[in-house]
Amino acid sequence: MLFGDSARAFGTLGVVLLLLLAIVPARDFFSEWYRYQKGYLRLIRGRDDAITLQRRFEGGIHQTWIPELGVVDRCGSCHVALKEASLRNVGIQPFRPHPPIPHSLDEMGCVMCHRGQGAATTVEEAHRSAKESEDPMVPARYLESSCGQCHMDKPTGIPRLNAGRTLLTRYGCVHCHSIVLPDGVKLAPTDDPPSLQHVADKTTREWIFAWIKNPQAYSGTATMPNFQLKDEDARDISAFLIAQSTMLASSAAPASAAASDAAALQAGASMYGESFCASCHAIQNAAGLLVGGNVGPELTRIGTKAKPDWLRAWIGNPKGYDPETLMPHYRFDDKQLTLIAGFLENKTDSDFMANVKLDQATPRQVAHGKLLVTEMGCAVCHEINGIHRPDNFAPDLTAVGSRPLAKIVFLPEMPRTLAAYVEAKIKEPRSFGSALKMPQFNLATGQVDNLVTALLAQTDRARTLPARLRVAGHASSNYEPAGAAGRLMRDLNCFSCHSINGRGGDMAPDLTWEGSAVQRDWLLKFFKNPNTLRPTLIRRMPKFNVTDQEAGMLTDYILAVYQTPAFDRDSPQPASDASQIEKGRQLFYSKYACQACHIVDPQKDKGYIGPTLTEVGSRLTAAWIFQWLKGPQTLRPGTLEPDQQISDSDATSLTTFLMAQKGHAKTQEAKHK
Amino acid sequence: MPPTIEGYWNDLRSTKVWRSVFRSGTGTSTLHRALAVQQNVFLHLASVKMRRRSLAFSATWYLGTMSLATFLILTATGILLMLYYHPSVPQAYADMKDLQFVVSAGVFLRNLHRWSAHAMVFLVFAHMFKVFYRGAYRPPREFNWVIGVILLILTLFLSYTGYLLPWDQLAFWAITVGANIMSAVPVMGRKVRFLMLGGNTVNANALLRFYVLHCVILPLVAGLLIAIHFWRIRKDGGLHTGQVETPAGAPNE
Repeated sequence: MLFGDSARAFGTLGVVLLLLLAIVPARDFFSEWYRYQKGYLRLIRGRDDAITLQRRFEGGIHQTWIPELGVVDRCGSCHVALKEASLRNVGIQPFRPHPPIPHSLDEMGCVMCHRGQGAATTVEEAHRSAKESEDPMVPARYLESSCGQCHMDKPTGIPRLNAGRTLLTRYGCVHCHSIVLPDGVKLAPTDDPPSLQHVADKTTREWIFAWIKNPQAYSGTATMPNFQLKDEDARDISAFLIAQSTMLASSAAPASAAASDAAALQAGASMYGESFCASCHAIQNAAGLLVGGNVGPELTRIGTKAKPDWLRAWIGNPKGYDPETLMPHYRFDDKQLTLIAGFLENKTDSDFMANVKLDQATPRQVAHGKLLVTEMGCAVCHEINGIHRPDNFAPDLTAVGSRPLAKIVFLPEMPRTLAAYVEAKIKEPRSFGSALKMPQFNLATGQVDNLVTALLAQTDRARTLPARLRVAGHASSNYEPAGAAGRLMRDLNCFSCHSINGRGGDMAPDLTWEGSAVQRDWLLKFFKNPNTLRPTLIRRMPKFNVTDQEAGMLTDYILAVYQTPAFDRDSPQPASDASQIEKGRQLFYSKYACQACHIVDPQKDKGYIGPTLTEVGSRLTAAWIFQWLKGPQTLRPGTLEPDQQISDSDATSLTTFLMAQKGHAKTQEAKHK
Repeated sequence: MPPTIEGYWNDLRSTKVWRSVFRSGTGTSTLHRALAVQQNVFLHLASVKMRRRSLAFSATWYLGTMSLATFLILTATGILLMLYYHPSVPQAYADMKDLQFVVSAGVFLRNLHRWSAHAMVFLVFAHMFKVFYRGAYRPPREFNWVIGVILLILTLFLSYTGYLLPWDQLAFWAITVGANIMSAVPVMGRKVRFLMLGGNTVNANALLRFYVLHCVILPLVAGLLIAIHFWRIRKDGGLHTGQVETPAGAPNE
């Protein structure tokens, strides 16, 4: 035999096995983390604070264990200096200290934010493992996604996540995909795709054809995605949409022919400006730049789209066509209506439908169009006669941030990470198969990043976190003002811009406690002729042409109902002797430097951030000014006004000074004297 | 006479303590040697005497012995692994990670267990083929062949139950598929699957059942059958030699 007799063979084999076994403890001893810890000790040797660092260093595997969160993180075994702020300039990983964050490292662990495999003690496994249920680390640019596991509020400091979540609702992702935030609140779309039940009143089949072929050709800001339709399909869909449309009586009101001479157009343009249509709608100017807001659709080519009769009826009373619209009911008279409709009808673009030639639709085309509309899920967003809104049209994305890589079909040559997959799905959905239904969205790279960030926040872990960690978002409210004033507010669509009791838009100031803030005369005047309070603001409150009676009713309602329980608006004003006013002036200009943001003296002051205060004494109540100075955030959470911890006596002086700023009223008074 | 190692050895063997443990005495006679085997709980499974030829490598390729060796390795490593393992749903996988990353020699322990298990399945199959092609299944060894087949099935079942314990995706789906195959058995298939999984899907109950099967029930049954298997080798006349033999055992009534 090879080893001589059997006893010797047995002995030899035994020794060989013993040597092999010795490899095991040796491998344990010379592990990666052990080498890194050696490296760290070499690094700190010779530094001034070597003794302190050395004392704080502890060898062996370091573990952050938070059973409640399911966190077992051993990252600290190599990243030994995470808490050593003095090593900030070292710059060698894994020895850099952690940058300052609002959470403590022991409170959250590492993988809660960075993902990756916390239990691992090797570089490869901890950072990049993509096996089965293990998570590779999230790329730094999507790091904010992890904040979204707990934060449903929108704290500043995580702009990408906040923007991403807004995009999910604004671009209609959540029409098709169901997304439930970790706190159980389902994301609701904030865009409002129009009902198509009366679409033939509004526009022509040719326009529908050109629009569904490429919505962005009509308006670069259109949120409707491109379904990449073939010509025949677009032809049949447009045929069906016109065929299913029923006529509304209100749209058929005969319009007096719109004047289109230059003078009328000029007057219409002025109407457009005076009515502050641009607060919500944008129009391309001569330089091709969009000017205006993005609440309503872009109007650059509205004349190509809207039928004149419909346009006039719409501006006259938007709720007649769409009861849910955000557009306010301007009280235009017939002449004004003609001017502004004429101006808009003139906004045409002959190129847009230049090549659209459609023959009379055949019943076959209509039937095929209906089939296509059903299959492509048009009814998920739009109301269409004869087609039910399908539920769960697209995959649920509630847990997309934890989708196991094993269940993902990657494209060839694509990085095998979840983030890359989600990004590609958003950027070019049809690259995963031309038969897929998801349309092509027109998004900038930054927007795609924001969306990926928001989607990666939808993890399994987020739903199992203890409730105490969750920071809930602002609960949506369905507050409705009551009575005749309430009806008027709905008609004017105040909630499109203003927020009251947690419901409404964020374009204009929150009015929840407006009744405590303003004086009656000012508010009455403001309704009749709104002027802006902030000099740099482009968006302004439009003039709704309300009657005296309507303005009076609204003013009384606001003053009576929207009052804070914190203080009484009619509490007595401090005596306004000249010395108090002077003291207030000095506090205003020196101690608190309010002129950095506000204007009291139009000649001297250059503060453009906050509202102009030249007339504040006739606008606000003294009680409000005092309370506002004491704690602006408690009255209006999120306001830019800093809380300067103003003492009671300083606040009283400032209030006296500000109440003395009566603007025109004051100068008139002076004249009388 | 100067003291020799053998002298010390003989002195040791004649102490009272030694004699209280080993009943067979110290002599080197054939009787003493026979008693040493016969009166030892472990050794008595083997024959007192055997042909030199049957110890040669070519006779068996040592496949049965190696199967036993892997079984013993699996028992030893398995007991050590049990010290680090909780058969509960979130913890089982975390324990795998602990074995991989922080338990000293944990990876070695796990790999040794895993590769020994693979080797055992291979060796048991090879053993069966060797026995089959040499005709050693024929009377008087037909019952031992049956026990061997049962041991093969037990080996496979041990392997299958052990597969679920890491509680990773591979394990989960392998057991799901296996259980579904089982439910294809006519009439009782679904009942058997329900019994085995403790439910209709692979979940916490299945993990616990597989753990108990893998660590307690199957090894005990296998150990018992292995003992009978070895004992029957002796009783059936030692290793098969290829010669015509008369059936051993008690005469027929």
